[in-house]
Amino acid sequence: MCKKYDTVIGLEIHAELSTKTKAFCTCDASFGGDPNTHICPVCTGQPGALPIINHAAVSYAMRAGLALNCDINRYTRFDRKNYFYPDLPKAYQISQLDLPLCVNGSLELSTGTVVRIHQIHLEEDAGKMVHDDYHGESWADYNRCSVPLIEIVTEPDIKSSEEAAEFVSKIALYLKYLNVCDAKMQEGSIRADVNVSLKPAGSSVLGDRAEIKNLNSIRSIQRAIESEIARQTEILEGGGKVVQETRRFDDATGTTSSLRSKENANDYRYFPEPDILAITFTDEDIEKAKSEIPLLPHQRVERYTKEYGLTDEDARVITLEKYLSDFYDQTVRIYPQYKNVANLFLTEIMRRVKDTDSEDIPISPKDFAKVVEMADKNTVNRNDAKSIIRIMFEEGGDPEEIAKKNGFIVVEDTAAIAEVIDKLFADRPDLIEDYKNGKTNVFGFFMGQANRALTGKATPMSIKAYLEKKFSEI
Amino acid sequence: MITVSLLRKKLDQKEFSSVELTKEYLKKIHENEHLGAFNTICEEEALISASKADERIASGDALPLTGIPMAIKDNICTKGIKTTCSSKMLESYAPPYDATVMEKLNSQNIVFLGKTSMDEFAMGGSSQTSALSKPKNPFNTECVPGGSSGGSATAVSAGLCSAALGSDTGGSIRQPAAFCGITGIKPTYGTVSRFGLVAFGSSLDQIGPMANSAEDCGIILNAIAGQDKHDRTTRKHDIDFLSSIGNSIKGMKIGLPKEFFGDGIDEEVKAAVLNVAKFYENMGAELVEVSMPTLKYAVSAYYLLACAEASSNLSRYDGVKYGYRTQNPESYDELIKKTRSEGFGTEVKRRILLGTYALSSGYYDAYYKKALAVRQQCKAEHDEIFSKCDLMLTPTAPTVAYKAGANINDPVKMYLADICTVTANIAGIPAISVPCGCDKSGMPIGFSLSAKRFDDAKLIGAADIFEKENPHPTANI
Repeated sequence: MCKKYDTVIGLEIHAELSTKTKAFCTCDASFGGDPNTHICPVCTGQPGALPIINHAAVSYAMRAGLALNCDINRYTRFDRKNYFYPDLPKAYQISQLDLPLCVNGSLELSTGTVVRIHQIHLEEDAGKMVHDDYHGESWADYNRCSVPLIEIVTEPDIKSSEEAAEFVSKIALYLKYLNVCDAKMQEGSIRADVNVSLKPAGSSVLGDRAEIKNLNSIRSIQRAIESEIARQTEILEGGGKVVQETRRFDDATGTTSSLRSKENANDYRYFPEPDILAITFTDEDIEKAKSEIPLLPHQRVERYTKEYGLTDEDARVITLEKYLSDFYDQTVRIYPQYKNVANLFLTEIMRRVKDTDSEDIPISPKDFAKVVEMADKNTVNRNDAKSIIRIMFEEGGDPEEIAKKNGFIVVEDTAAIAEVIDKLFADRPDLIEDYKNGKTNVFGFFMGQANRALTGKATPMSIKAYLEKKFSEI
Repeated sequence: MITVSLLRKKLDQKEFSSVELTKEYLKKIHENEHLGAFNTICEEEALISASKADERIASGDALPLTGIPMAIKDNICTKGIKTTCSSKMLESYAPPYDATVMEKLNSQNIVFLGKTSMDEFAMGGSSQTSALSKPKNPFNTECVPGGSSGGSATAVSAGLCSAALGSDTGGSIRQPAAFCGITGIKPTYGTVSRFGLVAFGSSLDQIGPMANSAEDCGIILNAIAGQDKHDRTTRKHDIDFLSSIGNSIKGMKIGLPKEFFGDGIDEEVKAAVLNVAKFYENMGAELVEVSMPTLKYAVSAYYLLACAEASSNLSRYDGVKYGYRTQNPESYDELIKKTRSEGFGTEVKRRILLGTYALSSGYYDAYYKKALAVRQQCKAEHDEIFSKCDLMLTPTAPTVAYKAGANINDPVKMYLADICTVTANIAGIPAISVPCGCDKSGMPIGFSLSAKRFDDAKLIGAADIFEKENPHPTANI
C-alpha cells in the first residue's frame, strides 16, 4: 500500500551541561544534595542579586555547536524569558532568543537523512517542585535552578520515530564524548520536546503541528511520536483538522493529551538581559574551542580500524559507550597490543558491564593491561587470564597477586616436563609402538595428558617442544 | 554645615569620638521622627560600629569614612537588616547578604545609622508612594522631599546623618537633592556596583552619594566605586573622584541645552540656573548654547525602558520565597495574583502593567524597540554635545518641592517632572545636582552639571568651585 502521509518531526533537545558550577553563580551544579543546599542569593532570585556568566558553560556550549557543524555567532546576547512558575525564582529564565551562541548545524543519521540544526543556545534550568498530596503541600527545591542547559533546536527534517530516537541517542552520545553533558536521561540531564505534523505524501506544504513537551527517555520519545502520528492520521482520515497546540505524553497510557492551545500560549515578553553584557568572540576564541574538541565516536572508529587494525564491528561496539571506549584507549596507551587488548576487552570486560546502569568499571586500565600482557607472554594461560579478570571484578585485587595466589603463574619447570613426559612414555609403551607404526595421532594424547599434569608448571609451548624432541628420538 | 571632611578632621584630632558623634545623630534622629526619613533605625548596631571605629581611629589606621555616621536608602541590601524598598511586599524582608557598596563601606568602618524611606521600589519623584514611612521636606514639612531617594535627602538636609546613599534610575538622587538643598551625584553607569541594589530599571540604576558638599560625594564615591566581580556591568576604572578639586574652571566650555530652559521650567528656577551659568562665566568658563532635540521623547522612552525592565525585575515577588504572601490561597495562580495585588501599591502596579504591555508580543516593536532607538539617538546627541563642551548645565527639576498630595493623582504630570534628569540615565553619563539658593517661598533650587562617561571627577571639581562661593541653604529644624 502506498503511504498516504509523510511524517515531519522537529526536535528541541535540552541538555544540562556538566560544568562544576551553575550558569550564573558559583553554586555546585552537581546532581543530588539535600533540597536547597546548592543555592545562593543569585540562583534563588533574592532582591538585588545579579547573574555572572559562567565562562565554562559558554565554552561547553560552543564545543557542542562546533562538533555539530554549527557556525558560532561572533556576537551573542542573552535575553530574559518571562513567566511565572514557583520553580523559577526570578520569574524569568535567562535564555537566548535572537542571537544564540550557535546556528546552522547538522547531523547525519544512519538512514542518510541529514538533520539540520537551526540553533543551539545557552540557558538556565529551573528548580524542582515536590508535591505532597497527602498534606496538600508543595515545596520548591532550587538545587537544579540555574544549572546551565543547552537547547538544540532542529529543523523539521526528521521523518520517523526511529529517526528521532536515533537523533537523540546520537546527540546524547556526542555530548558525552565532548565531555559537556553526562547524558543521564534518568536524572533529567537530557529532555526533549517533539514537534510532529503530517502532510500529504510528497507535498511540500507543512501541516499543523502538535508539540509534545518534556519527554525524558528515548523510549517515550519514540512512543509519543508513534501515538501522535496515529492520532493525527485518524483526524485527517476523518476529514478533520489538526489543532496547533502543546500536548503532553502519558507514559502509562502511551497517549498524548492537550496541555494548552495556541491561543493560550504564554507570551514570554523576551527582551535583552540588561545584567549580562553581550559576548564578542574572536577567531582565536573559536579556533581554541575547535582545538579542544575531543575525538567523536565515528572518529574513534576510524582510528581503531585504520591505525589499530580492529574490525569495523569491534570498533563500533567499543565506541557505543564513551566510558568503555575511554577504558580501551587508556589500556592501549599503557600496553599498545591493540588487537589482544580488544579481544579480552570485548569478551571479558564488556560482558560484565553491559547490563549495569553504572559506568564504573571496577578494575583499572593499568591492571587490565597487565592481565593482557601476562596472557600474551604466557605468564598465565588464556583461561586463567579470564579467571583473573573475574576475580578482580568480584573481589578486587592486584592481577599478579591473584595469579600467584591461585597458582596461575606458569613456571617453565624443565625438570618437571622431562619427568612427567618420560613417565608417560614409560607407562605407555603400547602407544609408542603405535606411533612407530604410523599412528601419529597418539601425539595428541600425550600432549593432553602432559598439559593436565603440568598445569601451572609449564606452558603448552614448551611441553609440545619437549614432546616433539622425544618423538623425533624414537 | 557639617561635612564628612570636617568630621574626619575632628574625629582624627580626637575632638570627639565616633560614639559621641553617633549618639548626637541618634538623638537628632529621634527628635525628628516626624520627618519620616527612616524606615529602620539601627541604634545598637550604630553604637557597636562607632566604638569599633574609635578603636581603629585610635590605632591610627582610619580610612576616610571610618566612624562617619551614614544613612542608606532602603533598597540597598543590608545583611540581616530589613531592606523593604518602602513596600508592603518586602516589609519584613531581611536579605541574607550585603550589597557590594555596604561591604565596601563596612570595610571602612562607617557607622550605619539606618535605612531611609523612599518611593515604593524607587518608583516616584516625591517619596509619597512609600507604603511605610513618608518623608517630609525639612525646609517645609508640608512639602515633599522629592524622590525616590527622599528619605536620604531629608536625613542629610535635616542633619540626621552626615551623608547618605541613594539610588538614581531617572533622577532619584538628583531631584530630591535639589528639593532638599543638598548635593547628590548619579555616577557614570558602571562605576558603582549594583550588586545588592534592589533592581528597578537595571540598565539605568546607579547607586550614588547624597551629601552636604560635592567633596563629600567624591570621598564616598572613592569608597564605593570600582569594578565588582558580582556585577558584570561595572567597568574597570581608576577614577579618583577628588582629583579635580582645586582645579580652575578657566577655559572650560559649559553647554546650555536650550531645550532645558523652555516652557514648563519655573521662571525662578530658570533664573537661578542662569545665575549659575553667569557665575561660571565669571570664573573663566565659556558658555556654549547646545541642543538636544530628542529631549521631547526622553520621558516617554525612559518610562518605556524603565517600566519594561521593572516589569521583569519585580516578577520575582510572588509570595513563594520571601516577602509578603496572601492568606490561604486556593491555587498557585491565586497565590501570585493576590500576593501581588495586595503587596504592591498603585504606582508600582501601574508601572508593571505599563512595562508588561510594552514588552507584549505585537507591541514590542511599537514601544520597547522605539524606546531603544531613542536611547541610541540620545546617546549620540550627548556624544555630539560633549565633543564641543566639557560640561552641560541644566536645572535639576522644573520646579521646587511641591506640597504633599499634589500631582499624586496625575501620573503623567508627575512623569513629565523627570524631564531634566532622565537623559543622564538613558545615556549612562554622570550628573550632579548642587543647590543654588531658594525661591521666594524659601524652597531650595538645584542645578545640574553633567559630563561625558567617566568624567565624574570633573563634575565634582566644578561643583566644588560653586559651593565654595555659594553655601548650601539650611533648613530651620
